[in-house]
Amino acid sequence: MLGYHLRLAMKSLRRTPGLTVLMVSAIGLGISACIVTLTVYHAMSGNPIWWKNDVLYAVTMDSRQGAEPGRPPKSGHAPQQLSYRDATYLYGSDIPRYKAIMVSLFGALRGAPGQVGPALVNVRATSGGFFHMFDVPFEYGGPWSAAADRDPEPVIVLSHRENEKLFGGADSVGRSIAFNNRPFRIIGVLDRWEPQPRFYDMTVNAFGKSDDAYIPFGWDAELHLWPNGHMSCWGSSNPNTYAQLTGSDCVWVLMWVELPNAASRVRFQAFMDAYWAAQRKMGRFQRPRDNRLWRVSQWLKRHHVVTNNSRLLLRLAFAFLAVCLINTVGIELTQFLRTAPFTGFRRALGASRGQIFQQHLVETALIALAGSALGLALGWAELHAVHALYAGSGDAYGELAHFDPLGLLWALGLAALATIVAGLYPAWRIGRISPALFLKSQ
Amino acid sequence: MHAHVPPLFSALRRNRTGAFLVIAQIAITLAVLCNSASIVARAVARIDRPSGLDTRDTFVMIVEGLSKRFNIAQAEATDLAYLRALPGVAAATVTNGRPLTNDGTVTQLRRTAAPSGSNPVRTSMLPVDEQGLSALGVPLVAGRNFRANEIVAYSPAGPSQRPAEIIVTQSLAHALFPHGQALGRTVYEGRKVALTIIGITRDFMGPQFGQPAYNAALTPQVPGKYGFYELLVRARPGRRDALLRAAKRHIAAAHPDAAVAFTQTLEQAQRLFNASSRNIAIFLSAVTALMLAVCCLGLFGVTAFNVSSRTRQIGVRRAIGARRRDIVAQFVAESALILGAGVVLGSLLALALGQWLSNHYGEPRLTLAPVIGGTATLWIVGQLAAWQPARRAARVAPSVATRTV
Repeated sequence: MLGYHLRLAMKSLRRTPGLTVLMVSAIGLGISACIVTLTVYHAMSGNPIWWKNDVLYAVTMDSRQGAEPGRPPKSGHAPQQLSYRDATYLYGSDIPRYKAIMVSLFGALRGAPGQVGPALVNVRATSGGFFHMFDVPFEYGGPWSAAADRDPEPVIVLSHRENEKLFGGADSVGRSIAFNNRPFRIIGVLDRWEPQPRFYDMTVNAFGKSDDAYIPFGWDAELHLWPNGHMSCWGSSNPNTYAQLTGSDCVWVLMWVELPNAASRVRFQAFMDAYWAAQRKMGRFQRPRDNRLWRVSQWLKRHHVVTNNSRLLLRLAFAFLAVCLINTVGIELTQFLRTAPFTGFRRALGASRGQIFQQHLVETALIALAGSALGLALGWAELHAVHALYAGSGDAYGELAHFDPLGLLWALGLAALATIVAGLYPAWRIGRISPALFLKSQ
Repeated sequence: MHAHVPPLFSALRRNRTGAFLVIAQIAITLAVLCNSASIVARAVARIDRPSGLDTRDTFVMIVEGLSKRFNIAQAEATDLAYLRALPGVAAATVTNGRPLTNDGTVTQLRRTAAPSGSNPVRTSMLPVDEQGLSALGVPLVAGRNFRANEIVAYSPAGPSQRPAEIIVTQSLAHALFPHGQALGRTVYEGRKVALTIIGITRDFMGPQFGQPAYNAALTPQVPGKYGFYELLVRARPGRRDALLRAAKRHIAAAHPDAAVAFTQTLEQAQRLFNASSRNIAIFLSAVTALMLAVCCLGLFGVTAFNVSSRTRQIGVRRAIGARRRDIVAQFVAESALILGAGVVLGSLLALALGQWLSNHYGEPRLTLAPVIGGTATLWIVGQLAAWQPARRAARVAPSVATRTV
């Protein structure tokens, strides 16, 4: 029966090739627009470490000086970073399973075999816990130990990309390399790791490449390197030297903790609150208490990672798909009505309503299938075009416009939906036609 | 015209659903068309805003210290002396931010020292020396430039000093003193820092932090405490790229404990600054154009169906005296009826969508101009889409009326 339906459907579609092409391309265009926007939207709104959303927390305290009279601080407006002294104090807690404080630095790597000129790198000065808590994959070696954090050992972890560049991708663990003219021992090399958005540090950009190398946090103070990222100061804090910076209320250090259960979360919150109260007595933390632990998902929301533009474009793409589908329904309906005399003839010869319905459904399914295939191909091409258009323009779209398997799944889901929506009504409608009406006019 | 009305409605009754579907398409398309036209117009206006800077000839070079040994004050002096001696350099200064980027410093200024006395005004602030104005390529409209003896030098050892003068843009001057003369007045950064406005420049875009785009100020100061500085160099026409290479070579040779972290021409900075506006304009225009095309195809399809399913009726009308013009007029009027219904519905939908966008995305309210423009566009394009099948209908010979019976 299906074969027969298929044969009839092919015949009917071939009879009006213009309309068939029109319907297929309308569906294809609609689906491709959705693929592009969904891919970008999905990449933007994705939580790159969703499997640890319940245990990872960003730590913030509202350490700004002096409340502005008549202007209560709005919620979520506390700085995203901590001052050096608050961060190092909180880092001393034993409550978290893993903990990491971090700051972004700029520097030069020298001394790889055959290297000409320094390699300028973004280095993250952080704690060994960073690699454990964020499940960072290693290609060679591994993270440094807690002991290496305490009294900073000259150890360095290279990113996959930097290791490719300096050592041609070979196992460089154990080799020595100079960071800002100081010898460091390579202790590990990361596998490819490019979480998007770069959730652990979105102070400057939410999307972008991850760091080139990692060193123990203590080296920042040892080398007197000013942070290369974002820094905020208030009122009278205007540090002039690195020593003044570490003692100031300026915020420039990010902190993350892994708290494995609710009990540890409560304990860490209490630990923060106690520190806050003690410091307040000494004249700091004059604003209302706002000590927070942010889950990754809350953290992403706080940073408005999904831009209004991409939400807008997603909605637009769906409106476009809707127009394409309505268009297809309309054309299908007219096409079915055009062949109504033939349908009436079949009904008169004994075809049931169900069979007529099935036959027309097969026809629309063929169109939807072709439209989806076209949509996938177009979507793939459009993503490449978007990538080329936006690449290097600093807009997140270029960064994110890659065809990912999940986007594909979404698209297939859409295609299935399109089939049902576009196919049902015309097929049902044509089945309701009274055969006598059309036989009469022959 | 009156005579055409009865067949008009009877035709619509025959393929009622088809007509309704096209009306829905037209309505959605018009709603999207009006709103995206207004968003695109705003994006284009944002891109077209003048930067007020000499973007073509200016570049920025970030020099970053790599160790404690790096003597930043000395390096700054060396670089400026080197650059200013080059014949291709129009002006050079040292600063710590880049116009048209979010690299730099943002601060709040007030008319009064007490926070309660006046509203804070957010502005970007660039430290520059006496060549700063010239390096930015920005003319003064009132007051004077910084003098060499007013420039506060950077010293890592001493307590932080503060400059006492400030040069502001016209926009910032107006924001601080809406009702009066700003020149010569004092503004406050926090309680303690008082700055006298000694000059007012034509508007330019400094570093952008979401403050009003032209809120920018200059202070007479040499940066250095953050461990880096940025050379801002304006070249004589056509010399920019050669200068950029020369400056890079000079720094690599002169400062073993520093490196050029980044270079960027203001042209590049401006392109990036406009990227998201440009991209949304391209994307919206493309999708809206496609929607319009699909919508027209729908209208074309319905008209074509009406024509082909009524070939005999047309033949009869022709046989009893209707002219070709009348047949064309009938189908054009039919499509006009569909278009009209879609356009009315679509205008309402457009206004509703505009309201929703302004509630949820903070877009300004949709004005009537894009609605009228969108309606006219859709009407013209829609009529053109119906024109072809209507012409085909007119070619039906009167003899068809008798042939198919």
